[in-house]
Amino acid sequence: MARGISLYVEGQSPLHRVHPLTKGTLTLVIIALAFIAPSLPWVLALGLIVLLLLASAGVLARFLAILAALLFPIGALLVIVQGLVNPANREVLVPLGPLSLYREGVLVGILTAARLADLIGATFLFSFTTRPADLAETLMQHGLSPRFGYVVQSVLQLIPQTLETVDRIRNAQQARGLEIRGRLDRRIRAFLPLMMPVVLSSLVATQERAMALEVRGFGLKVTRVTRYRIPDSVGQRVLRWALLLLLPLALLARLYGWR
Amino acid sequence: MALTPSVTLAGARYRYPDTERDALGPIDLTVLPGEWVGVVGPTNAGKSTLCYAIIGLAPQFFGGRLRGEVSVFGSPTASQPVNERSRRAGLLFQNPFTQLSGARERVDEEVAFGPEAHGLPQAEVEERVAEALRLTGLQDLRARHPLDLSGGQLQRLALAALLAMRPELLLLDEPTSQLDPAGSRALFDVLRGLHAAGTTIVMVEHRLEAVAALCPRVIALGEGRVLADGAPAEVFNRPEVQASAGMPAFARLAALVGKGPPLPVTFEAAVEALRG
Amino acid sequence: MAEIVLRSVCFDYSSAVPVFREPGITLSLPQAAIALVGENGAGKTTLTKLLNGLLRPRAGSVVVAGTPVAERSVAQMAPVIGYAFQNPDDQLFERTVRDEVAFGPRVMGRPKETVQAAVDRALDLCGLAGQASTHPHDLVLAERKWVTIASALAADPPVVILDEPTLGQDWAGRERLHALVRALGGQGRLVLVVTHDIDFVAQACDWTVVLSRGLVRYSGKTALAFADEGRIEEAGLELPAATRLARALGADPAPVGDEAFTAWYRVQPA
Repeated sequence: MARGISLYVEGQSPLHRVHPLTKGTLTLVIIALAFIAPSLPWVLALGLIVLLLLASAGVLARFLAILAALLFPIGALLVIVQGLVNPANREVLVPLGPLSLYREGVLVGILTAARLADLIGATFLFSFTTRPADLAETLMQHGLSPRFGYVVQSVLQLIPQTLETVDRIRNAQQARGLEIRGRLDRRIRAFLPLMMPVVLSSLVATQERAMALEVRGFGLKVTRVTRYRIPDSVGQRVLRWALLLLLPLALLARLYGWR
Repeated sequence: MALTPSVTLAGARYRYPDTERDALGPIDLTVLPGEWVGVVGPTNAGKSTLCYAIIGLAPQFFGGRLRGEVSVFGSPTASQPVNERSRRAGLLFQNPFTQLSGARERVDEEVAFGPEAHGLPQAEVEERVAEALRLTGLQDLRARHPLDLSGGQLQRLALAALLAMRPELLLLDEPTSQLDPAGSRALFDVLRGLHAAGTTIVMVEHRLEAVAALCPRVIALGEGRVLADGAPAEVFNRPEVQASAGMPAFARLAALVGKGPPLPVTFEAAVEALRG
Repeated sequence: MAEIVLRSVCFDYSSAVPVFREPGITLSLPQAAIALVGENGAGKTTLTKLLNGLLRPRAGSVVVAGTPVAERSVAQMAPVIGYAFQNPDDQLFERTVRDEVAFGPRVMGRPKETVQAAVDRALDLCGLAGQASTHPHDLVLAERKWVTIASALAADPPVVILDEPTLGQDWAGRERLHALVRALGGQGRLVLVVTHDIDFVAQACDWTVVLSRGLVRYSGKTALAFADEGRIEEAGLELPAATRLARALGADPAPVGDEAFTAWYRVQPA
């Protein structure tokens, strides 16, 4: 059976061992800085830092593969669209018949793509190094209700299970004679017989799961007991505040002419 | 010496919402602590509904109307929400997969779910998890991902999750109906151990041979009411039970070759009867 | 001719999960009520999916009722094989039992009157005549399984595959299954029942295929399937109740099935 989607990669790097709050703060600060930084060299420098952090966690190669898959289509689209129609366009870079790719637009597209790369890098940095269970536990220790904690923890298994169900349904309906490939009208007619069982069986499964959870004591109003402590430290707390301070500093710098 | 019954139904009737007939009742029934009761009957006889009424899901989860008395350990089921009842009673369902919380990646963490939801201290949670895994024979699998388990193992995991609360009363609604013979045997072995340790068990089952061999007391339901209540040999020899719930294979074979009534209902009894 | 012929069929899910290794499965199944037994992981479900094209063999050929499966899509195999899957909730979507059962023949383009008649016959055989207008999800699981069985019959296929039909059935349900399997066999169809219920096998199926770790250990008359104790144990099977009882009373070889049991008992010294 499909186990569960999770980007977490086992490891012992400093990033793995650091508290989820610290990692979360790091991620959010990097993303914010990527959009506050005024020009490409700064955004790329930030990206270099992200790459170094990913390397330290042992996940660089994995990330670059994902980045290529995600960024190239989006990045290319950005560059082309901005290159064609950005209002500040003046200098032609590449003539394309009636249209042209302009230098200003292309540069804007590249800058936006670089910011996106930083965002993706920071997000994956967190996901690769944080166990979903640790994230849920941290959130619940800081007041997230156990019902929501359950939602966070169960969605990861839910998605591959649903995909498996969709697969089984497709097999079952095809075996009854339903053609699902080919002409458009066939595909349209196949929609209901493929979609409805997903919905109905999800409802049945959800009801059964809810009953089983109820019977086990889910939802009792009790004071939350800390299940395990993810190591935190004064040093990390200081680091988190320091990182957060970078944001108003960066904004001030922009105000005073950071280029 | 009067023992407080584990389960009491008196004039109990239950109707699901938007239905025209009572699914259960009127029923009068008492189960004493330590008993192992098998509940048999055709589909839609009210066996599952009986389990739901005892644990409180009917009416708390389904809505619908409950009349008469349904009490567990001397207090009416309505006096306590279902999730609180888990401290003393548990219900194992048919489907091994949908009983998983879906929020845990290890067998032992899955078992810990219930005790954690009750706010028990960590040390006690760990102790109960170890005990429940031992009772169900799953200690070697404690680090595995639940979805790597077979159907039979999953069902034992679901049972371990209930046992972690140390229930005095265990209800089982067709626990082996989706399992292969090996999985069923393993589950029945666990139940044998629990019965020997004093847990009260009410087990709905279609495997009549197992019921006849394991349960000192059998209740046959039909159309929401009790048709017969007594020892297996007695209940499975009643014509109205044979016509609705059927009979164990050995009884059927004995009847085929003209033995009885009364028909033997277990393997050993059949061997005896056919030898003579 | 309702027959199934597999020749040197090899299949694996991946290099790490081989199911049917070289030289592959070679098997000829006659028109009969056939039980497919074996422990979990032996390849039972894989085998049935190779029959209707849900899985394609790496090597070898599969011919069902004269139709080479390799030349057909799964949907094109539907008129040949009626397949009742284990989980009814993987297929139910219509608002009434009747519509659900009619789905297959409708989608195959059968004329309305033929569809109506076939649906009525299927509902009767499956004990659902009184539930024709019920919403399938108002039925309990055991009843929903019958809806999928009726759906598999509605297109009148020469071959019917039932995947674990006895799970969750009460005594009356199992009796109806016996009767159904016998009736279908009597109509000249090949019924393949994948099951763990060894008593059902002994009572309802004339032919048994024992699969163990990707190999066919036995394919032949059910009456002789339990003769080899080593094979039974290795395949993780149990003895049917009648056979067990007779053996405890000294029978050797022990009879399989109710008729054989009764006949054997009658000739015992008093």
